[in-house]
This record gives sequence, structure tokens and C-alpha cells, in this order.
Amino acid sequence: MKANYVIIGAGISGCSIAYNLAIKGVKDIVVLEKAYLTSGSTGRCGAGIRQQWGTKMNCLLAKGSIEFFEKAKETLKYDGDIEFKQEGYLLVSTDEEEDHQFKKNVKLQNSLGIPARKINKKEAKQIVPHLNTDVITGAAFCPTDGHLNPFRMTDAYFKAAKRLGVKFYFNEEVTDIIIVNNKIEKVITANMEINSNNVVNAAGGYAKEIGDMAGVNIPVYAENHEILVTEPIEEVQRPMVMSFTKNIYCQQVPHGSFIMGRSNPEVEHNHSNESTWKFLDEMAKTVCEILPLVGNLRVIRQWGGSYTMSPDRQPIISDTNELEGFYLACGFSGHGFMFAPMTGLLLSEIILKEKSTIDISDLHLSRFKNKKDFIYEKSVV
Amino acid sequence: MINKDLVIIGGGPAGLCAAKMAAEAGQSCLLIDRNRTLGGQLIKQTHMFFGSEKQFAKTRGIDIANKLVEDVRKHPDLIEIWDDATVVGLYQDKVITVLKNELYIKVQSKAVIISTGASEKVLAFENNDLPGIYGAGAVQTLMNVYGVKPGSRIVMVGSGNIGLIVSYQLMQAGVRVLSIIEASPKIGGYKVHASKIRRLGIDIVTSCTIKKAIGTEAVEKIVTVKLDEKWNEVPGSEKEYEVDAVCIAVGLTPLTNLQSMIGSEMKYISELGGLVPVIYPNHETSIENIFSCGDASGIEEASSAIVEGYITGLLASKKLGNVHPRYDELMDEYNTQLNNLRNGPFGDKILNGLKKQGA
Repeated sequence: MKANYVIIGAGISGCSIAYNLAIKGVKDIVVLEKAYLTSGSTGRCGAGIRQQWGTKMNCLLAKGSIEFFEKAKETLKYDGDIEFKQEGYLLVSTDEEEDHQFKKNVKLQNSLGIPARKINKKEAKQIVPHLNTDVITGAAFCPTDGHLNPFRMTDAYFKAAKRLGVKFYFNEEVTDIIIVNNKIEKVITANMEINSNNVVNAAGGYAKEIGDMAGVNIPVYAENHEILVTEPIEEVQRPMVMSFTKNIYCQQVPHGSFIMGRSNPEVEHNHSNESTWKFLDEMAKTVCEILPLVGNLRVIRQWGGSYTMSPDRQPIISDTNELEGFYLACGFSGHGFMFAPMTGLLLSEIILKEKSTIDISDLHLSRFKNKKDFIYEKSVV
Repeated sequence: MINKDLVIIGGGPAGLCAAKMAAEAGQSCLLIDRNRTLGGQLIKQTHMFFGSEKQFAKTRGIDIANKLVEDVRKHPDLIEIWDDATVVGLYQDKVITVLKNELYIKVQSKAVIISTGASEKVLAFENNDLPGIYGAGAVQTLMNVYGVKPGSRIVMVGSGNIGLIVSYQLMQAGVRVLSIIEASPKIGGYKVHASKIRRLGIDIVTSCTIKKAIGTEAVEKIVTVKLDEKWNEVPGSEKEYEVDAVCIAVGLTPLTNLQSMIGSEMKYISELGGLVPVIYPNHETSIENIFSCGDASGIEEASSAIVEGYITGLLASKKLGNVHPRYDELMDEYNTQLNNLRNGPFGDKILNGLKKQGA
């Protein structure tokens, strides 16, 4: 088989890249997925969409993506409901230092056109009445952040891409990439050999392994982040509530369940997606402190998914100096789902050598060369 | 966190027998069951068992349960019993989480025997969630455990042994069984049961299924439809029954949530009732020291669950360093019994399934 472009990974990033290339008229695009649509991090994520970030780059990626999501149903001609609910993100601060950081962040966000605002405890309580304001010092709120169904949104991209002629192959794990004279020649799976000079690495947690196959070192690693869902109840909480210091995000999704997660500071770097009783213990304690009402609900299920961490917690969206025709969309550090529209748009611009919608030279792989100290994105759970 | 070397989850025939063997081998264990009464499904079975004398043929299920529970209670020093306690999680580090008296308890185990049994299969049809539509197990529980009649006019869906026996019990309780319908062209259960039912005047209609239920507060009517040789509905063959209850007896599927949760290798094997764990030679799943037996490993009869329980109890204790004084003799004996049971009328199907299940 021959392909113009082989995209590895049918999570939302791979599907968005495929769609963006196809809508610009690129033919012969093949997407290879080792399991099924959304089987990796996309289908395991917390379904939140936010623009309240601490770095300019993340703010711009998020803002551009939200603008796409607002019209996604029409743009992608999707017959289903993507369950986009813009009820905001309420970020709560728990000390003066964080309060100060939020002020700085809001200023940056506002300068980029993101309608976030710094609010006090009383205002936060009005937005989420069951919030325990005794443990917070303040909050930031952005009303246009919200919820989006990862399965439906990916399905929308998938169907649109398919209509444009993109071929998807599931249960096809890439086992090797053949390079001849520093040029990509073939992509090998268990059942197929695809002749192609261009490969897009959108392999999520396995991006490093795909890089190794191509002989390109990508300094990312996967780590397990756990999450749980409760029984559904009538709507009592409109926005996502999040605290970086308390280590929690928690939202009520449209069908009534609460989804919540937190990170484990001792997590190992590997592909485990295991569920632990320790997470359940810690999550329960944390949510009962911040949102005591949620403590009355029964837990239905818990699961894990991989964050693919980059050294500066910002994505890698770039070509590679080491290998012609090898493109990267990885290292999203837990936020690939919400950035996917911009990921697809920007990478298609790089691939087709078009003018970039925003300057993303800071997201190039080469930024990690000979560099050890990075400015971290701090607004991460 | 409580520490226990061996935890047996599920106190039906398999779990009870595993506990007995463990105790005889000198192995202490914790037996957890979510019901108030140990014995699993046996406690609702008032009919006498078929099969070999060795697995209590001609004895009523409830009496078998009492006997097995008695065996376990003989070892209060070695077998700790938690009843009315539900296991809600089994994690990779072999920690078991349990809800007991509204308390959430964590148990660190070294080995686990999963003997959680099965759940009833359901049928998809319009309004299948109306009150009055029961699984056969629920009907047995209502009638035989609590003495409550599920209705007065009932249609039985499914003609396997459970469907036939429960129909008979319903008649005995004074419930009118209007008809037994069976989707396949042949009656599923033993001929002796079917003949007994027919002698009572109950019609067994083959190649027929339930199309929909009708009712507002509860089921009032059902519509059945005949099926052709390709299992397609035959137009115009619909028939209405006025009922106040429907009993669905279309088989069981293994309860394997815990095996799945801990990440043991699973396989879909229709002969064994659905998704089952792959079983290694000493009755372990793909995860060391996680054992699985009885219906939780594949649907068979209670008699097979009893023998599998004995075998798994012996194996698990040995693995933990406690060898039963008559280990070799008993293993031979139980393996022979199991082979004999599987040479019965449904044996081929089971053996076929087990062949696929082995690692």
C-alpha cells in the first residue's frame, strides 16, 4: 500500500490532523491505530476544556480550540451531540502566593482576549453553592471554559475525515519505520507495509517509542493519571472546579455524573493505566474537603490514562531537523484533548509549509536540545 | 488495612468448598459473601439434584447449602466469615476493598479465590424494564426464600432446565404458567423435566420469542412472535398474553468484574457463558495467586462448582505452603469426579469451552 501521509494514533490529535490535511485537499492519508478510536488518552480524559493557563502559548492554543469547538458541529457536519457545555472553570486558590499567580494569569489571559476574571470567595460561592470556601482564599473564573464529550468530538473528526477520503485502520500497531538514506520509506504493522515518505507521530503515550523507531529522540514520557466517575444526579454544579494546590479537578458532566481526578506525585514513568485504592482514598478525602456534597455520591467506576509529559509541560507541535517528513504532535502533558483543533490546524500548516496561524516556534522539538532548565506551565493537575 | 493470607470471594458452592479444603489443609482464610445467608444460589433451589451421589444427587439444593455451610462452620479457628459484605474492588497489589455494615474496609491479601458465581442474562425487547418482568433467579428468590408469589399469570421465556424447573415450582405455588416459549427449535432442558411440565398441561412453544411488553405501572400484556429457521420474526405470527409477570430464564453469564478489574487475561467463550478468565493449570488466572473457580470461571452445574471449589482450595493452600495431608488422593478423586460430571449430557459443550479457556 502507498500513502502520502501516515498518521500514527487515532486519538483526537491524530483525527484532527487527518481532517485538517484532508480539508486542504491532501489525498492518500492513512491513520494507523493500535487499538480503536479514542482507546488511548483521549477516551480516558476528564472531558474538560479550559483557557485559563499561565503561559501565553497554552492560552492561545486553548482559545483557538474553543473557538473551533463552538462551531464544531456545523463545521464538521456532525449529526450527533458533542455535548459542549460552556459553564466555565472555577479555579480556586488556597494561599496568597497562588492568589497572586492567578492575578498574573488573568491579566495575561485578558490581554489575549480570554474573558477570565479574578473573583473573591463570596462570588465563587455564588457560582458553586456547595463549594467549601473555608479552605480557599480566592478564585479565578472563565465562563467560556467547560465540558466536551471526548468520544463524540473525536467521532466527529473521524467521520469528517473519512468523508474526505482518509483511510483508518484499527488494531494495526506500528512495529517499525524503515528509513533509507535519512528518508522515511515505509511504515510496518503486523499486517501491512505502507510505502510513505511522511509520518505524523500522534501516538500519545507511545510517542517516544514511535520516535525511537524513526531514530528521533523525543524527550517525553508517559505517566498514569487516575480518575473516577460517580452515579448521576440532577444538575447541582455548572462549572469545573479545580485546585492546583489541593490537587483536584471535578466537574458534573451533562448526564449528571461527577468526574474527578488528581495526580499522584509518586507516579512512575511507564505505560501503566492501573487503578489504585490509594487514588480512591486520596480523591475521596480531597473532594470531601472542597466539595463536601459530592461525598454523598457513590463511585461507579475508576480508571487510569496516560499523560505524555514534556520537559516544559507544553506540547511539541513541529517537524524534526533530524528526519525529513517526520512530524510530531505529542507531549501534551495531559491537555491534548482540549488543544486538538489547534494541533490539527497548526501541524497541517507546518506540513504544507503554509503561514502559521500563530507563531509556534516555541513548540518545536529543537527547544529541548542542550537545555535543562525550563519555565514550567504551573497550572496543571 | 487488614492482612489476610487467603481471601475467598463468594460463599456459594465453589467458595464454601474451597474454604473447607483450605481449612483441612491448615490454611486460614477469610470468606466474604454479599448475602446474609451463605450458600449462593443453592439456598433458593428446593428441587432435588440430578447427577452423581458424590455431589448430593436426590438432595434438595437448600439442604446441600446447609451441609456445605456446616462443613465450613466446623473450622471457626481457620475460616473467618464476613456475610452481608460486598467486595467492591480488587486491585493489582491484591488489596481487596469491602463494604461491610456501611464501612469501607481494605484487606491486603496474598492469594485470592474468586468464586463470585454468575448473573442472569437479560433479553432486549420493548419495555423490558416494566415491573413484573423478572429473571428466573429472582423468581426463585421471591418464592423459595421469601415465600412471595411473583404474580398470578406468568409466561416463562426459556426452556432450559432452570426455565422448566421454575415453571414447575410456579405451578406448585398456585401461579398459572400460561406458556413456556423457547427461541430455538428445540427444548433446552432435560426431557424428563419437559415431559413433567407438559403433563401438567403447560404448552412449550419452540421457535418463539418475546417481542414486547405492554403496561403502564407494571406489565399487563406481552406479545410473542414466532421465529423462522434463520431466527427472523415471522410476520403475522404475533400472539398476545395477558400476564402480570414474565420470567426470563435465558441462561447465565459469569460474574467476572473482579478478574477484569485486576487485569487478568480474559476471553469470550460462548460455551462458558461469555467473558471468562483464561485459566492456567493450577486454576490460577494469568495473575499469580489469583484463582478463579465455579461459575465465575464458566457456567456449569452446581455439582461442578462444588468439585472445582474443592480442587481450587487444595491448590491455593498448597501454593501458600499448606499441603492437605491427603492432597494427592483428593486431587485424583476430585479430578475424576469432574471428568465424570463433564461426560454428562452437556459435557461436550463445556469441554469444548474449557479447551479454549486453558492457557
